[in-house]
Amino acid sequence: MRNPFKEFGCLSVEKKELPLERIVRAREEVMGQMIHGYLKLVEEEVKDLVWLVEHSRVVKAYSAAVKSIRDLQYDVDDIEEFCGELDSSNKIPYMISGPAGIYVSALINHAKEDRIVLRLRDYQRTFHFLGYRLPEGKTLILQGDVGDFVGAGLSGGRLVVEGSVGNWCGAGMMKGEIQITENSGQNTGEWMRGGEIHVEGRIRSVGKTLFGGRIFQRGKLVMPQDLELDI
Amino acid sequence: MRMASQSNGALREAVHEIHDYIQENLYLNRPDMTVNGKKYNSALLLCLISGLRKGKTLIIGEPGLGKTTSAEYVCSLLYRFPLGTIWGSEVAGHPEQTEEKIIGRPDLGKLNLGEEVVVWSHFAMLPVKIVDEINRLPETKQSMILDGVDRGNWEYLNDAIINKEYCLFATANYQDRGTNTIIAPLVDRFDLMVESKHPGANLAYLIGMRGAGGAVLRHEELEAEFHRVLSQRTSYEARMEAVESLCDRFGEILKNEANITTLSRAQREIIRAEMDNIPFDLDANAFLRMVLCELSFCHRFGQKRSNETCEEGCHFTGYTCNGIRNCISNRFPISARNMAQGLAWFVGDKEVGIEHLKAILPYTLAHRIQWKDEVIAQHEKEPRSDPLPIYMAKQCVKVMHRRYMEQGGQIKNALAVACRVAEGESLEPIKGDHPIFWEIRKDLGEEVLEQ
Amino acid sequence: MEDKEKTLGEIWKDVRRKHLFPELPHPIWDEQEERVALDIKEKRISISESFVQELSQFMDPARAISGLLDHAVSHYLHCPWDLSTHLRLYREAKKVLKDKQMAQKATGYFMDVVADTMCISQKESHLPEVYRHIRRGIMDEALHALYQKIWGVDLGVKGYEEVARKLSRLPYLDRRKWTDTIKKFAKIVQSLLEVEEKFGGLNRPNPMGEHSLQQYSSDEINEGLKQFAKEVETPGEFKEIVEDLQEELLEAMEPNERGMGLGPGRSLDADVLYYMKLAENYSLPVRKMPLEKSGALYPYQHVPWEVGMPFRDIDPWTSFGKIMPGITQMWQRREGEMFGREEATPDCIVLIDSSGSMTNPRQSLSYAVLGAACACDAYLRNDAQVAVYNFSDAKAGGSQILPFTRHRMAIYKTLCHYFGGGTKLLIEDIESLQTRNNPDIFLITDMQITNLETLIQYFNEKNNRVTAVHIGDNEHVRTFRKSMALRKNVAIFSVEKKEDIPKIVLGRIKEYFHAASRF
Repeated sequence: MRNPFKEFGCLSVEKKELPLERIVRAREEVMGQMIHGYLKLVEEEVKDLVWLVEHSRVVKAYSAAVKSIRDLQYDVDDIEEFCGELDSSNKIPYMISGPAGIYVSALINHAKEDRIVLRLRDYQRTFHFLGYRLPEGKTLILQGDVGDFVGAGLSGGRLVVEGSVGNWCGAGMMKGEIQITENSGQNTGEWMRGGEIHVEGRIRSVGKTLFGGRIFQRGKLVMPQDLELDI
Repeated sequence: MRMASQSNGALREAVHEIHDYIQENLYLNRPDMTVNGKKYNSALLLCLISGLRKGKTLIIGEPGLGKTTSAEYVCSLLYRFPLGTIWGSEVAGHPEQTEEKIIGRPDLGKLNLGEEVVVWSHFAMLPVKIVDEINRLPETKQSMILDGVDRGNWEYLNDAIINKEYCLFATANYQDRGTNTIIAPLVDRFDLMVESKHPGANLAYLIGMRGAGGAVLRHEELEAEFHRVLSQRTSYEARMEAVESLCDRFGEILKNEANITTLSRAQREIIRAEMDNIPFDLDANAFLRMVLCELSFCHRFGQKRSNETCEEGCHFTGYTCNGIRNCISNRFPISARNMAQGLAWFVGDKEVGIEHLKAILPYTLAHRIQWKDEVIAQHEKEPRSDPLPIYMAKQCVKVMHRRYMEQGGQIKNALAVACRVAEGESLEPIKGDHPIFWEIRKDLGEEVLEQ
Repeated sequence: MEDKEKTLGEIWKDVRRKHLFPELPHPIWDEQEERVALDIKEKRISISESFVQELSQFMDPARAISGLLDHAVSHYLHCPWDLSTHLRLYREAKKVLKDKQMAQKATGYFMDVVADTMCISQKESHLPEVYRHIRRGIMDEALHALYQKIWGVDLGVKGYEEVARKLSRLPYLDRRKWTDTIKKFAKIVQSLLEVEEKFGGLNRPNPMGEHSLQQYSSDEINEGLKQFAKEVETPGEFKEIVEDLQEELLEAMEPNERGMGLGPGRSLDADVLYYMKLAENYSLPVRKMPLEKSGALYPYQHVPWEVGMPFRDIDPWTSFGKIMPGITQMWQRREGEMFGREEATPDCIVLIDSSGSMTNPRQSLSYAVLGAACACDAYLRNDAQVAVYNFSDAKAGGSQILPFTRHRMAIYKTLCHYFGGGTKLLIEDIESLQTRNNPDIFLITDMQITNLETLIQYFNEKNNRVTAVHIGDNEHVRTFRKSMALRKNVAIFSVEKKEDIPKIVLGRIKEYFHAASRF
């Protein structure tokens, strides 16, 4: 059969490729894998699109997230972009705040960089569980208001929030430091075992059950109160 | 040998001389198109190229603006016929035209003796054919000359003649009381549609002062000779040989008395051969394919069809296929190729490039595209200097060209990959948004369904 | 530079060929502006002679000119492509930056990056060499650091790694993603723009030329606004952007552009402009002359003659002079069809309801106003006149009457006026607009008119062609339909989805106007 394209046989098919195209391609690949990992997590962990906050579920979700990102090569820009995708929902059909935050935290905790800054100010959605189990040696700076369970299970890292946080901030944290430049919600520091929470603004309420650690408001120790007497 | 040496630009020079002579002395008009930085009048230039290329041109315009006379001058100088002979062969468009007046009639004397002998009309015999006000011919008469116009094949009773060389010019006024439409199959057979514009007040004044030109193209003695030869009852081929000799004589007279160089049949054949050998560069090639694609593509229904409408929210809304009703015919690429090669030859270029195509395509498309009503409405009140069909064709070509400038590299790449795939290499055809990428995949045997 | 015109001509010829012959006029030299390399006004590129002379200290001037022309042509070919893209990009940038000047700057820089990168990816160009040698501000440094990364060239920039790294991830070559990409771009460069603003750098012109709206022709601006009106979701969005760029738009438009109500010394009414441009997206063709019977018989075709048929129509030629069955042919005559007398289009009275139950056209897209606008345009395009009766509670002064006119701006201003009060029209107001020629009447309402009975009675008495378009369904609609059921000159359309209004309006008018005939 006649080849209707014969006249173009002399053209070379190798296209001039800019570094930009390689960068964008690599980035899209990583983003695709991240989104795939997140969606898989949601499918496994979330039944009927409802996810209840229970300690065991949180732990399980985190483990699953860590497993899915184990072989992923990414950097802080990828994490920021992933947060953007979660916010815009262009490629992600459902953003369920709990697992989303846990997944992002897993990404943060296993990133190469020790210092990570996330600009959340421009996002419409509120992220929960950010800074979950932040390990020692890592600094996470969140610019903007964040949701609930921020810094939950903190494991020695330094978490700075340039804005306000929701409820259950620092819940169950082991060690490390949380700094909040504005306000915190209810049950701040609930179940914390160690470390420090510094709030520069208002604390709606402090957690009822604290096993250790200290909470400061505007530089003044507010919990545990008996320790202040000792000081 | 003399022919070969003549073909080194000498023939081109001769054609340029004809063009310049008509422009300076016979058909005064403003330039309205630019090719390679030079300005030309579109009606004159395209008629000249069409005449050389054995093409068919539809010339439109207001009454009295030189539609018929421009065609007559071009035919006279390209084919070496005196004006009187051309006038005698013209078919006038009016409702009372019959086959016997247009094509031929029986020889009545012989008929009474029981013999069927056809007396062919000058229109059917001569290589220059002019139909004046073709849209005044009833549609049945338009169909009648369809076949002859298309292939140069004229039949009457049981006889036929085949024109070896011919060109057709048809003129048409704008619609008014007493005009019909030109039937679609006939319109499609025209290679070009051009407008003979008003020359402007200053040139019109000059025309008024000079009076009707063309006296130099008359020769009563020769015209009588032509008439005598054409009226002979000998074979068509014999008469045409005799006519050719008379044409050569007329050519010599023009050279000696008016210093006008004209072309013999052999020279015209050489020019055509040279034109045929001008290749398309890859960009012109790819661009023409892209244009064909946009004028025939329909993702939903396989191809454009006049009786099918576009679906709402079609992915290809931004392309030309969405604005037109019909599918472009296969005569269009033939016209585009012939005329683009003609233009490239005329300006002395070795290859047909995008600039040639850009100049020619609007005139090959204007009469072939049926625009949707809403598209016409968008453009009809825009300021322009062309009649609406030509203006819209120009805008359409402009838009498609702009798309090509943006995507040309990828399109060529896709075509190159397709070539290798067609030759058996296992490469993945390149995907893209433009319909041509889809067409390429179809040509490679992929079933491309709407998602 | 010796013989600069000749040099420019030759280089332009090459650049034009390289870019496949863009439809751009021949560039010219500009002897005035030193700090800016290029300017584009109505697609005419002007190159700064002094800028090129300065560059020629470091590179061949021909290469400098070629690089600059590549940049200018790329803007035409790739980005912004047209005004609506330009406005869309600006809108997205402004959503992030919230400041007009910064958004304009960010948009300009984004377009530079896209155009240059497209050019570099497809053609050989001396643009990198130009960038290596030009004077840079803060943003220029950052962008050149970006170019180093994404083009793989050395432009002599140190620093700006973080910004370049973030910016290099954006898909500039994918036009479909530009809307998202510019938002990310603006977010990343925001801090740099703030620094520039602090040190007055925002007022310094871009060395590669600013992207003013003067680069577009009047027609392109009209077309661009038309496209943009179709893309935005609310009149407010359109208004915000158009008002931001009002001065530039006014400068770029022709002084006597009355169609848009623009002109030097007059400000834009962006709300009215929105509907004008949006309605232009829905157009009806000018009605061509209808085909009609000519009344004259002409010989149509031959048919065999039979014994008993009259002799007068025998064609002796085709019969070869013989009268005998089987040989003799006769003419069959038929009445011809030809283009008839052009019918005039009647004028139209538009009755538009702007009571409280109707959408306020300045706050949200009012499909009623849009429908009325489409109708008006259709009549105007067919050389008819339009009168407008905008009513709310007419008795309490809530009405506006515009007598017959062809002044498009005045018509639109009346259509867009919103009273938001009760709903009662005055028949005498409508009657005052009636003429001897029986104009068409176009009514757009939700039918919740308190004196609906009066209107029904009025329509029953009149012979005008009436098209009534109502939104939604209610008992008033049912009453109206029932009363008008037998009236042949009244057509009623119900709109269930508001999006149907333009189509229904145009469909109805199309029936009035004869179908177009091909040339």
